[in-house]
Amino acid sequence: MSSATKQVGSGIGGWVGHMVDAAAAIPGHYGNLLAKRRGRTIALTLLGLLALTYPLIYNQFLAGLSRNVFPLPVPDETTMTFMLIFGIMAIGLNIVVGFAGLLDLGYVAFYALGAYTAAFFASPHFGSISIVLFSNVVSGFPGIHLPFWMILPMAVLVAATFGALLGAPTLRLRGDYLAIVTLGFGEIVPVFFKNLAAITFTFTIGGVTLISLQDVNLTGGPLGINPIDPFVILGVGFGATSGVAAVYFAMALTIIGIIVARNLERSRMGRAWGAIREDETAAEMMGVNTVRTKLLAFALGASFAGVAGAFQASYLGATTSDFFQFSTSILVLIMVILGGIGNIWGVLAGAIVLVYIDKTLLIWLGQRIGSVAPDFPNPSQFNFLIFGILLVVMMRFRPEGFIPSRQRAAELSVHGLEEAETAMGVDVETDNVSVAPPGQAELDREAELPSDLDDL
Amino acid sequence: MVRGIIAFALFQVFGVVFFGAEQFFQTEVIGFSNGLIFALVALGYTLVYGIIELINFAHGDVFMLGSMLAFLLIGPIFAVTVDTPVLLKVGIILLVLGVTMIGTAALNVSIERVAYKPLRNAPKLAPLISAIGMSFVLQNVGLLLAGPGNKSIDNIFGTANILSVFGIEGVTINIQQVFVAIVTIPLLIVLSWFVSTTRQGKAMRATAQDPDTAGLMGVDVNRTIAITFLIAGALAGAAGVVQILYNNTTVWNLGFRFGLNSFTAAVLGGIGNLQGAVLGALVLGFINAFSDRFFSTNWTNALVFGILIAILVFKPTGLLGQQLADRA
Repeated sequence: MSSATKQVGSGIGGWVGHMVDAAAAIPGHYGNLLAKRRGRTIALTLLGLLALTYPLIYNQFLAGLSRNVFPLPVPDETTMTFMLIFGIMAIGLNIVVGFAGLLDLGYVAFYALGAYTAAFFASPHFGSISIVLFSNVVSGFPGIHLPFWMILPMAVLVAATFGALLGAPTLRLRGDYLAIVTLGFGEIVPVFFKNLAAITFTFTIGGVTLISLQDVNLTGGPLGINPIDPFVILGVGFGATSGVAAVYFAMALTIIGIIVARNLERSRMGRAWGAIREDETAAEMMGVNTVRTKLLAFALGASFAGVAGAFQASYLGATTSDFFQFSTSILVLIMVILGGIGNIWGVLAGAIVLVYIDKTLLIWLGQRIGSVAPDFPNPSQFNFLIFGILLVVMMRFRPEGFIPSRQRAAELSVHGLEEAETAMGVDVETDNVSVAPPGQAELDREAELPSDLDDL
Repeated sequence: MVRGIIAFALFQVFGVVFFGAEQFFQTEVIGFSNGLIFALVALGYTLVYGIIELINFAHGDVFMLGSMLAFLLIGPIFAVTVDTPVLLKVGIILLVLGVTMIGTAALNVSIERVAYKPLRNAPKLAPLISAIGMSFVLQNVGLLLAGPGNKSIDNIFGTANILSVFGIEGVTINIQQVFVAIVTIPLLIVLSWFVSTTRQGKAMRATAQDPDTAGLMGVDVNRTIAITFLIAGALAGAAGVVQILYNNTTVWNLGFRFGLNSFTAAVLGGIGNLQGAVLGALVLGFINAFSDRFFSTNWTNALVFGILIAILVFKPTGLLGQQLADRA
């Protein structure tokens, strides 16, 4: 990729210039690819076109067919939108897990933060005040009503801030301890959203009451916040009832996500992530600022979930803390693993396939089976049985995923590691969550590095 | 040790003054019983982590399946009630304990064979993810077998207060709580004896320290790991029986929260350290009971996770653990 090696200018202007250059280079690249790998390029082009036109095909043709002739296991608009929402999250989690090699089991927290950002700033929830800005909501209507294009950067900011907050204390941790801390964080955040519904709190210093809260309902409690303003531009809505428009909006968000993630992967930061993933100690010795690098991985990865959460909330028009369970974190992780850890296209495909299985195929199967044998367990209730088996089987037989990144495939397969070691004649640090494999652990311990980053 | 005793004594004085003696001691009784059940499960986490450095995510769900099996035996199959003759009751409980422990031990060993053993040489992410997958599989097996609702049995011990024999009425210790101690404490002693004095226990400790060297010294590492899972599974099964007889209810997703509580206990005590796991479990049982009683049940989980995060971040060796400090 010539565009990747070119010096990128600083600031937004430089970035825009870079994007324009990259866009201008696309036809040339495409011609090259068509010449070199004809079959693959044509197949991928067709796949891309299908993805772009599928919502319309469904809307014009498949939906009616499925409704009137015979039920088909085809994804509907809601499923398509959720494919893309989870696609955005999978791309974001891939930054943390795939690029930087930090196992995050609490990713759902950032999804929740994004959703509640949208809920706080675009709903009648805070009815005692009225702030209406650039919104289609009538001025003077109770609550805060900001338009979605303002919510989105706020969600990014909130999620990224909390990502960095989570990242900060976990910098010293490695491997499975890090995984558990992130899991705990992912469990705590929804608890807060669930419980902060009746806050009574007074803070007094020297007889002067500084803060006095009486039964403040911050988060709507277990019921959540409902309704949330839909996103409307020029009379076109992007909510759950607006059909194809929302799918294309989600697609636009996903494409932006892909571009951002691809550029990050190939940036200086992306190479730093690769370095700390491969061997944190060595990376630090080479001058990589591990603190900054890890914090940025957490913050940037989290911001994707923030976008997904804000969009999900405005799409559904409601949010409750029950959406944000540990199983959602794991679902996104399975998408990343199934698709191919480290590979943006792989994880996107993983998200699409898994949401398809979860929201269309199993429900369709359940209806088919239910019409024949009503007593048979409904497969859509046992989706996580299937996903659990999938995880175990994938780890056993194909840990690198179905569309792996080449580099990660070599790292993750025991075989590939041995080959790599023999070929290079060195002991390769292969550990993706930076806990050393057998043998390497002893080396690490003996190294006795002065850095306290190594203590744990 | 001395510091611990002083801290505990101060806690007692503070608690009695602050909460009032009756409420304080009652909460302590509940905390102690909870803590003993946590201890059985926490030992499973700590044994496995000690030997193969794996957070056995599925362990809480093995415990859940144990409690399901015990529910099935005590409830529908033997139909034990509070009126069952005492000798028969004891016999059935022993039988249920045996069957459940064997069942969960066999289950845990099979899980190890299927999900972890093939990944022995893979990067550490792989078995952890495999364990998470296994956890979901077991949860759904529970859901498939028992359905989505709570599964409840009758309280087979009655509600008599043991302390009323001594003329104390303000604090209640019922037979269920005594039962928890009667089952749990001997198991803890047997485990401690097994690990510290038997040949197999020595092999376990050797493997925990260094599997490669232990193998060179003639320890059958695979067999030792399998036995570790066997013991962990049996303890989880016992915990399942105790929990159904103590709380009288179980549910398919019980294992997740209970497992994380127990894991927190193991980490609090110092993961890999058996005494630490028991100590951590008791502390965590107290924290749970006091939070439920004097703070809010809604926040207990957040509190437990907050503690877990705080320990992992600030004192990852836990209260007693030093041995495995460099493992994580």
